[in-house]
Amino acid sequence: MILMYGGGNTFEGIKTDSVAQEDPVLLAAFEARINRGEKIEPTDWMPGLYRKQLIRMIEQHAHSEIIGALPEGTWITRAPGFKRKMALMAKVQDEVGHAQLLYSAAETLGKSREQMIDDLINGKSKYSNIFNYPTFTWADCCFISWLVDAGAIVNQLSNAKGSYGPYCRALDRICAEESFHLKYGHHCVIYLASGTPVQRQMFQDALNRWWAPMMHFFGPSDKISVHTEVLMRWKVKMGSNDDMRNQFLDMYVPKIWELGFTIPDPQLRKKEDGQWAYTEPDWEEFKRVINGDGPCNKERLAVRRIAEERGKWVRDALRKAQTTYVTPLA
Amino acid sequence: MKSLDPRIERLPELTVAPLPKAPLDQFGSYEVFVQPKEEKPFQHEGIVHAPDLELAYVFAKENFTRRFTCTSLYVVDTRKVFVSATTDGNQNAYDTVAAESVSGSDTFEIYHLLRRGKQHVAVGTVKAGSPSEAMAEAKKHFGDKLVFNIWAIRQADIRYTTPEERDLWNTLPEKRFRDAADYKGGDKLNNFLAKQSAS
Repeated sequence: MILMYGGGNTFEGIKTDSVAQEDPVLLAAFEARINRGEKIEPTDWMPGLYRKQLIRMIEQHAHSEIIGALPEGTWITRAPGFKRKMALMAKVQDEVGHAQLLYSAAETLGKSREQMIDDLINGKSKYSNIFNYPTFTWADCCFISWLVDAGAIVNQLSNAKGSYGPYCRALDRICAEESFHLKYGHHCVIYLASGTPVQRQMFQDALNRWWAPMMHFFGPSDKISVHTEVLMRWKVKMGSNDDMRNQFLDMYVPKIWELGFTIPDPQLRKKEDGQWAYTEPDWEEFKRVINGDGPCNKERLAVRRIAEERGKWVRDALRKAQTTYVTPLA
Repeated sequence: MKSLDPRIERLPELTVAPLPKAPLDQFGSYEVFVQPKEEKPFQHEGIVHAPDLELAYVFAKENFTRRFTCTSLYVVDTRKVFVSATTDGNQNAYDTVAAESVSGSDTFEIYHLLRRGKQHVAVGTVKAGSPSEAMAEAKKHFGDKLVFNIWAIRQADIRYTTPEERDLWNTLPEKRFRDAADYKGGDKLNNFLAKQSAS
């Protein structure tokens, strides 16, 4: 099963595959509620598969925000000028804030935040594959701010129409904040595009490096299985990976071309039916990187682990006996 | 560790596998409520984890009102929020609340969920001796509307924003660098395109 979420894809099996053992009366009421366009709230009955799939999807989205802050965060000290430093710092802070909102939403389904963080640093949970690539230059950082965020917004706007109340509420907030990221990223790229030949070349090089991971970002074509159909009916999965990729290409390829840059895919063009033609991305490379063999996988997890270990004494010093972790309400 | 970032290169090598987090390595849960504008009711915004009520307030301010300005904010321990049954369709959550006589005069904030998927919104306060009495009182005062979930919170349990703290949000409008409207690249882009087509 290949799952799309706010920012990427993983290959992982799901064990609660069958809805056959669910109570048919409860299941019918649950599906009727979704058909009426009503959202599911945490205290409602829900099928095991729905809960499991949502936990995984929201958790991976949260991890992607945390890990996604790293390749950009590393550029804060080297961003060109005070204004860009301030803006990038605010953007990175937003990404970490988004992770907080998403972890909370996943917690309402019964997995504690500590368990999720454990699973991230032990490599059990995945995050968006694209953040396993390095940001060599300032232009790589600008590519992420503009285009990776643009891709994430395509996914997030679609997921915000899903059926789970807490996830929708978190995504509404996140999308509202992302509008700054997108505008800021585009602004950075316009400045490089209209700058010196060296600046233009710097962004062109970044585009050449990032185009393949960007096409991977939306995941391979979905296999239409019973499983996918169920998740679509329950409004967990809101659109196919190809739809999302096509939407992204439709919105952003013209903007990239407008700036006079070349996209490294000779097949790329809009067909008469409105769909985009492109060279099939190398999915073997995608699988290899997701499974740990990308240029930055080790570094990303190590940084997260060190942060966790170095923060331990602070958490220990702050902890008080009278507070207890409980599942959040909504 | 080999990295493009010198700060990461300076980090110590990790040799042992990370220990699983001890069950106690978890902070408590606190619900966050925000008043977006003067005259508007408070609404539920989300949660934070914190070691105590005071830090929960600080985290909530950072997490939920960093980008969007508001006029007031408060937090309460999740365990101190009393929750009714959740209903759907045409069933009113107040139908699940039984009548009770009032035995005390604590003030409770009452919140309604008016639409599934939306936030809980404050409707007003009632005086009661217990949360279940507060629910019964709320039914008398606010029970004419169709609501899907009701929350009652004793005011004494809430960490409110004090009048002196209201200037916390005064600096936000100056922070234009994190506002989408501050990134108008249009002129620069048009100049660039005009130059391109001229050459």
